[in-house]
Amino acid sequence: MNMVRYRIRHRTAYSYSGRIDLYHSLAHLRPREDEGQETLAHCIEVLPEPKVRAERRDSFGNITNYFSIEQSHDFLEVIATTTVLRPDIITMLPSSGVAWDDLMVAPGLKDASGVRLGNYLLPTPAFPSFASVAEFLSPSLVPGRETMELVNEIMGRIFREFKYLPGATDTGTPLESVMKQRAGVCQDFSHVMISALRSIGIPARYVSGYLETLPPPGKAKLQGADASHAWVEAWTPATGWVGFDPTNNLLPASRHVKICHGRDYFDVQPLKGIFLGTGTQTLRVEVDVERM
Amino acid sequence: MNGIAKPPVGLIDVNVPPELYRPGEGIRDEALRPDGNPVHGWAEFFESYQRHGGEGLAEWREVALRISRDRGLAYRPDRGEGPHWSLDPIPWIFSPEEWKGIETGVAQMLRLSAAILSDLYGPQRLLDHGLIPASVILGHRGFLRALHDCPPGDRLIGLGLTAFDLARGPGGSTYILNGRFDCPYGLGVALENRTVVNRVLPNLFRRCQVRRIGYFFNEWFNYLAERSPNGAENSRVVILDSDNGSESSEIGFLANYCGITRVLPTDLTVRNSSVWLKALSGLMPVDVIWKVTHGRDLDPLEANWRFTAEGVPGMFEAIRRGTVAVASHPGAEVLQSPGLFPFLGKLCRELLGEDLILSPAETWWCGDPASKKYVLENLSGMVIKSVGHHSDFRTRYGQRLSSVELSELRARIEADPERYVGQEELQISTVPTSQVGGLVPRGAVMRSFSFLDARGEPHVMPGGLGRVSTAEGVIISTRESGESKDIWVRSLAPDAPISIERRLEQSRVISPEVVPSRRGENLYWAGRYGERTDSIARFANRLVIGRTAGFSYGRNLEARHEKTLVEALFRVFEADLLIEKVTDPNKRLSLILADPNCPAGVGRNVASFYRACMAAREEWSLTSILAIESARNRWFAGTSGEFESPYRYENELQNLALHLAAFHGLNLDSMTRDEAWGLLDAGARIERMSILVSLLAFILEVDEPAPMGTLLNESVLFVSDSLGTYQSKFHSVPTTDYALRLLLGEEDYPRSMRYLLERLETVLQKLKAPARSAPAHERVAPLRDDLSVFLRRLEDEEEFGPAKRQESLVFLRSVRERLSDLHDYLTTTYFSHVGYHG
Repeated sequence: MNMVRYRIRHRTAYSYSGRIDLYHSLAHLRPREDEGQETLAHCIEVLPEPKVRAERRDSFGNITNYFSIEQSHDFLEVIATTTVLRPDIITMLPSSGVAWDDLMVAPGLKDASGVRLGNYLLPTPAFPSFASVAEFLSPSLVPGRETMELVNEIMGRIFREFKYLPGATDTGTPLESVMKQRAGVCQDFSHVMISALRSIGIPARYVSGYLETLPPPGKAKLQGADASHAWVEAWTPATGWVGFDPTNNLLPASRHVKICHGRDYFDVQPLKGIFLGTGTQTLRVEVDVERM
Repeated sequence: MNGIAKPPVGLIDVNVPPELYRPGEGIRDEALRPDGNPVHGWAEFFESYQRHGGEGLAEWREVALRISRDRGLAYRPDRGEGPHWSLDPIPWIFSPEEWKGIETGVAQMLRLSAAILSDLYGPQRLLDHGLIPASVILGHRGFLRALHDCPPGDRLIGLGLTAFDLARGPGGSTYILNGRFDCPYGLGVALENRTVVNRVLPNLFRRCQVRRIGYFFNEWFNYLAERSPNGAENSRVVILDSDNGSESSEIGFLANYCGITRVLPTDLTVRNSSVWLKALSGLMPVDVIWKVTHGRDLDPLEANWRFTAEGVPGMFEAIRRGTVAVASHPGAEVLQSPGLFPFLGKLCRELLGEDLILSPAETWWCGDPASKKYVLENLSGMVIKSVGHHSDFRTRYGQRLSSVELSELRARIEADPERYVGQEELQISTVPTSQVGGLVPRGAVMRSFSFLDARGEPHVMPGGLGRVSTAEGVIISTRESGESKDIWVRSLAPDAPISIERRLEQSRVISPEVVPSRRGENLYWAGRYGERTDSIARFANRLVIGRTAGFSYGRNLEARHEKTLVEALFRVFEADLLIEKVTDPNKRLSLILADPNCPAGVGRNVASFYRACMAAREEWSLTSILAIESARNRWFAGTSGEFESPYRYENELQNLALHLAAFHGLNLDSMTRDEAWGLLDAGARIERMSILVSLLAFILEVDEPAPMGTLLNESVLFVSDSLGTYQSKFHSVPTTDYALRLLLGEEDYPRSMRYLLERLETVLQKLKAPARSAPAHERVAPLRDDLSVFLRRLEDEEEFGPAKRQESLVFLRSVRERLSDLHDYLTTTYFSHVGYHG
């Protein structure tokens, strides 16, 4: 199989108006190494130097990095540099061989990685109810329709009926508001789709990763122009997990590099931190996905 | 002894006539059999009751109330905000044999719960084998994935102090209604009740040979100390309470009684993956945490999806590393799901190889189609509960629902059946409860407390918290107020008396006097707000006098004076915006006197003062608390409603001043001069100086000539509580020059800055110097030096003209700056511990 090699640089920088004396952070920046993706090199540089660092696996099998900075600072920089090999494939929509209304998934059942599918079927703290997607979903629920075909249609409808509008939402925007304003970013698109699938008993999970962007013809690619991306995976017994990118209405292939997956954004937030100190913070994120 | 020979337990022949106590028809009573004879264990009680009659009952209630009040128990400053369980002095009595059964059953349930917990945060075999439905666990809000690979162990104590709610059914068997594994409330209340009831009924207590509960606490603390990573001999144990816990005062009582430091999440910090207590004397290591907060709120970094800083970030990493012992497992809340109830019997046989001794209330999980069908068919006789998924569903009682509500509920269950259980509504037994008219039967539930020690041995408190329904047929809920009872477990041989405080001295928990920084900060702010309230009240008083009696300066001038004084007030208390926004004189007065939210108003500062005091309530004597409460309550009672004429506020201001003076006086008399006192006093003095220099600067800025200037000087002296002193010292109308001399430079005068600075320097010496910078009191010295330089200049030969005026202004402004720097220094060094690099 042909492989594509990417070098990814993900830089997050905080500057603070005051002094920060203590910072605890949890990063989901190291890519998983399964499903054919391979990590050739990876490092996370943190400035100022953390006092404590710890790498471990979370309950979804993602690799997390905890660190704490215990010296006074007004600037914090986290740079994750990764080289990955990604299979160069063209993805076709597989068939599950089962109609969505016949699909029954036992919550205790485990997927290939050993995680129970109930995790991806039940409500989460951030999304305690699926009620707000019901109306949107109902026109697609034609009885007897093959599951993957239905999932694919839901993806297409989100892509067409929701407006991609950076700044329309933030990470705390509830699903109800996204449904009302029919606008958001990749996180919101993914959450809408996940809620829709779970509401009809299809296991669905949130994927965080990167998408290689191509510059306009004849132009050089800009530094830091890429971004973190998010998409969705849905599960049936015959297919296992299958990716869907509702922001771009396509099935993720070689240009999608996966970092982590979980129930929703809050399980796999790339960098989460809590600081002790005074003042306001300014955040700057730069991502470069470079094909080598 | 009153001449009656003491009969042995249970051999008194008493028949209770129905007019004395009559249980409900067809309802099981715990104390009296249908034939009118007492249940075994209750004879002494009825004998005593028969002798004392209704009057005796009334007296018991009276005495209970008095003791509670004297000990500060019934007196809950936060009452009205959370549930308040008042005490019924009639105990719920158990014979030794009866108790044996309960004890064994509770112990078994405890062992079973521990085994389930270990599996859920470990191999999850119970889910693999379908012994517990996966969705009950995976959807539960208390199931913490962040600790998925952290089963209970040496440091991570699986079950801490656990509570089970028990009730008796019609047939006399005991049922388990609830388990509370995460933050079982009621332990402090149980302790409070015991301290009161054995003083109300000392003779009966002795005759019944009631088992002591103090040993249980002692065993618990010894067990906690044993789990310390640094050895039991010197382990610092803290009890972690939640800031918003409505029952927080019972935890305060418990902590106080047991001599253990009660901390809030904000008191703790994780550095180098260890947990530290932010104390006034610096960061102190914490070895063991007994948490009575929700585990899911413990570490905002790992367990809370909301981006808030509540909790203790880094705590889970410390738990993983075993640098601190924690009870209970933060993810233990999952065991509270009533979705587990239908499966407990099978789990008990599977995990322990035993049959259940106590039955859980009969429960059907709607995720199972047959159970769902049964629940829906019998909905009107069921209690419907959430299994604990992420949704706010309040328990519904089918009997009390209208047909519309029932069909709504039915639709809800049909839509998400796995989120609900149906539970039979138990006809619970009654116990005798005292009322104004006599003894009445009331439905009762008992909360039993227990823990497993390091060897897996169960310890069950011989006692607990009884709760009775407030009226017949009313449901008992922990979240609502009601009556509580002491629970007496009788023994065949009397226990040796135990004083918990004394036992703890012998136990291995060390808990030296630690003042958490938060308490210090609250004391400091109590000092500041107290002074601010005082000062604003004097401003207000001056304004009211101006309106009512006047100053004999003529109406125009006095109106202008009022305007200037109000603006001074707004300026000094940083409400400058109001000067432009509100120009109507009456509206301005109304803001100061009647508005509860104006930063420069009396009401808001009284409230802030009250809050700061209450947050450090451990520091005050009961009488001091009364003074603060009265200050607040009277003020708000007397000034509520529309602003009317200024007359009605005269009295209220006077009362406020009196109560505040009483509070200060009581503190002078009763507080130890330790670092806590140092902060209270420092806060007061820094505030008084800040107000003084701001006010003087304002007067210099407006620079009014006589007669307006004279009247303003008079007002400044009045507000500074120095008008009398000025007049007796200088025998003249006040001039700015001499007002400055008095208020800044007078020797041994408690209102002068000179004196205030000297005092401040002294009290700051109470604070331990930080490791790497100059001690706080040394920061006052330069200010004192500058003051004497300025005073020499002020008192020299030169006339007080524009040049001197300007110099004074520059000086006052620089003092204000430096007081604000001192405030920042105290805050960062002693309260937030910013800048610590351990």
